[in-house]
Amino acid sequence: MFRTKIRKTHFYKNLMIFLALLGPGIITGSVDNDAGGITTYSVAGAMYGYGMIWTLFPSLVVLLVVQEMNARMGIVTGKGLSDLIRENAGLKVTFFIFIGLLLSNIGNTTTEFAGVAGSMEIFGVSKYISVPVAAFLVWILVVKGTYQIAERIFLIFSASLLTYVVSAIMSKPQWGEIASAFIRPGIELNTQSITVVIALIGTTIAPWMQFYMQSSVIEKGLKMKNYKFTLIDIVVGCIITIVVAFFIMVACGSTLHPNGIVINEAKDAALALKPLAGNLASQVFAFGLFVASVFSATILPLATAFYICEAFGFEAGIDKSWDEAKEFYVLYTGILVISAGIIMIPDAPLIDISIWSQVLNGILLPIVLVSMIMLINNKKIMGNYTNKPFQNIIGWGAVGILVVLSVVLLIMPFLGR
Amino acid sequence: MTSLTTFYLSGIIGKEVFGADGDAIGVIRDLLISTAPSGQNDPNQQLVLGIKLKIKKETRLYSFSTFRVVKAREMINVTCSDLKELDNDEAANGLLLVENMLDKQIVDLNGRKLVRVNDVRLATLPTGTFAVAVDIGIEGLLRRLGIPNPLKRVLSFFRIKIPAKFILWDDVQAIDFSNLNIKLSKSYAKLHTLHPSDLADILEDLGKKSSTSVFSALDEEKAADVLEEMEMQTQIHIVESLPVNKAADVLEKMPADEVADILDEIEDDKAEMLLKEMDSESSQEVRDLLEYPDNSAGGLMTTDVLSFKSELTVDDVIKELRNKKPEPSELYALFVTEKNDELVGTFDLRDLVVAQPEKTVSQIMKTVPVFLYDYQKIDDIAETISKYNLLAVPVVDKDNLLQGMVVVDDVVEDLMNKRRTYKR
Repeated sequence: MFRTKIRKTHFYKNLMIFLALLGPGIITGSVDNDAGGITTYSVAGAMYGYGMIWTLFPSLVVLLVVQEMNARMGIVTGKGLSDLIRENAGLKVTFFIFIGLLLSNIGNTTTEFAGVAGSMEIFGVSKYISVPVAAFLVWILVVKGTYQIAERIFLIFSASLLTYVVSAIMSKPQWGEIASAFIRPGIELNTQSITVVIALIGTTIAPWMQFYMQSSVIEKGLKMKNYKFTLIDIVVGCIITIVVAFFIMVACGSTLHPNGIVINEAKDAALALKPLAGNLASQVFAFGLFVASVFSATILPLATAFYICEAFGFEAGIDKSWDEAKEFYVLYTGILVISAGIIMIPDAPLIDISIWSQVLNGILLPIVLVSMIMLINNKKIMGNYTNKPFQNIIGWGAVGILVVLSVVLLIMPFLGR
Repeated sequence: MTSLTTFYLSGIIGKEVFGADGDAIGVIRDLLISTAPSGQNDPNQQLVLGIKLKIKKETRLYSFSTFRVVKAREMINVTCSDLKELDNDEAANGLLLVENMLDKQIVDLNGRKLVRVNDVRLATLPTGTFAVAVDIGIEGLLRRLGIPNPLKRVLSFFRIKIPAKFILWDDVQAIDFSNLNIKLSKSYAKLHTLHPSDLADILEDLGKKSSTSVFSALDEEKAADVLEEMEMQTQIHIVESLPVNKAADVLEKMPADEVADILDEIEDDKAEMLLKEMDSESSQEVRDLLEYPDNSAGGLMTTDVLSFKSELTVDDVIKELRNKKPEPSELYALFVTEKNDELVGTFDLRDLVVAQPEKTVSQIMKTVPVFLYDYQKIDDIAETISKYNLLAVPVVDKDNLLQGMVVVDDVVEDLMNKRRTYKR
């Protein structure tokens, strides 16, 4: 997507045909289960057992509605979300949204490198070696312009997350308890649980995904007359995200929580795979985490640099030279260097960094959602394809809940909780 | 009063206008610029015609002629001696700076690319106030955010200079006229100076609405050239969004093989409608080409070929070429055919140029030409072309009748597409 040239090609010869069929929804859904997601779901499962699983249901509903809005905006306007925000919300609003997006995505990229560091430590590789090497490889991969192939390969490997499904089932979870926790959702009013809830929502419906989704739709050249296929693609993508999240939480809730294991580093989380992989659990977990981390570490800095340049009118794209697109390369390289640098700090708390960057996502999300809802209800932009009332209700509802949660999180410390 | 005052659009939007008696009249919302057809040195070009004022709760366009912008001690003051509403005729010839330019994408005609407008620089001369340049730099961004000077001082302390980037008004073309009721072909006049392939790149990067409206404003010849240079996705979008008769007119001007490639990708019903609308000669050629599978020589060939009878003299051929003035790619190879179009030989421009005028074609042609069958797979066509150092290979049917030729340009493009499949 980051080359402006797209050519219809004769795909029909090789493996690519299968991969080409993967729609934007499915790809976005898979990218969503990154290091931040795995960590957040694991921590939530370990801390609260099945107690937080219910949050996945409202998240699924909002995720579906939001992704559909992005797809529709992309198809109707042919413009990226950052273009639309800049053109309609004016410079100041755009500036603050993108400062937020830049910060939260530096956080997210840092999380990916935390995933690289954590997974490679399980294999006995020091983070002082694994992180700079991974960062350099990612940088080369993208600048050399072969990242699209890499994207597809990673997508196949990300199927390794399905080990959680098997492991969760083998851990003989208390299905009855899960069901009752689901029916009677509850939340403790303290800083920790609210933090976890915001992080869960923030990682499931990450703000950068909205930008990514919209550009993918444009890149694929989708049309309104094939909209039902797009809808299927979105539904499948969202369900993949939520199903994986569900089983990670079930696996951790069944194995870690009853034993009172708190996740302090990656290898604690690996115990959730023990029912399936036995003594190999750590290796299997590390492999899955590593793939997911590198995959998202490839996409995130690139996407962020691209959207910022799009909004501010700088040249962008990996097919441009350094001189043509200086801002783009500086941003891209800067995000990688800063993120990898944070992880290299001795004794950096990897798990805390992961959770808090997801919280930042959750706080930024309502701002992005508000601008999306305003854009999509603008008849000048969307013509006859503006939102239906139920979409607006769900959208505004999500904004309201997230704002309340964020405010509560802010005032909690003053209440002494 | 000094004869020249320069100011920024961002510096006056939202400011109050004061009357002759010093009372506040209203708040400035927008400026209207003349887009008078960019005739050479038209003095009224880019003149500020109107000003949008919000007075109490109403926003209206007023004539700018009674307004004056004065800079005193770095402060900008706008005064007004008399309020005259602008009539619709005058307003229809203009462009609103905030609504149509600010934060929008415009075409940088020198850089041949899309840029985003951060600010507009204006100047007041004795003859009026004019838009001078468009600010696309980071400095403009910071000015809009209202934090330029303190930050500049901090940065200059670290010896970092914030780059200012301006493009002169003559070198920009606004794109978004969607809300105005003006004649588009005139508004986009400046785009005609761009090369079709640059214009195609720009249209690809525009949103759907804008790409259609810019494309519709081009004349048919230019439109055909531009459409030919576009990526498939944009081609499809453009062809599907234009009215059928307009699309057909443009397609008629394009080489049949390119048209066939596009029609192959759009819906059958729509393709049929377009073929019916096109003149019968062009549409028949396209129909013939559509019969061939994608990866056959027939699918890749062009039907625009020049063939001659073997008994003609070199002089006759040259005269005929001068008459016809064919496209450059048609001259890559020249063919010799019998009465029924049977291919008997090939020759090229060099053969013509070095031969005596009275020699006949049969004397200069190569009699055993390399050729392809129309249903032949094209997998190794690149090797063939490179092995025999050809610019074009003739394509014949099973009875050896000339159908067209595959030119090296299309082979290269095909190769690049294949490579891109693996790259992407």
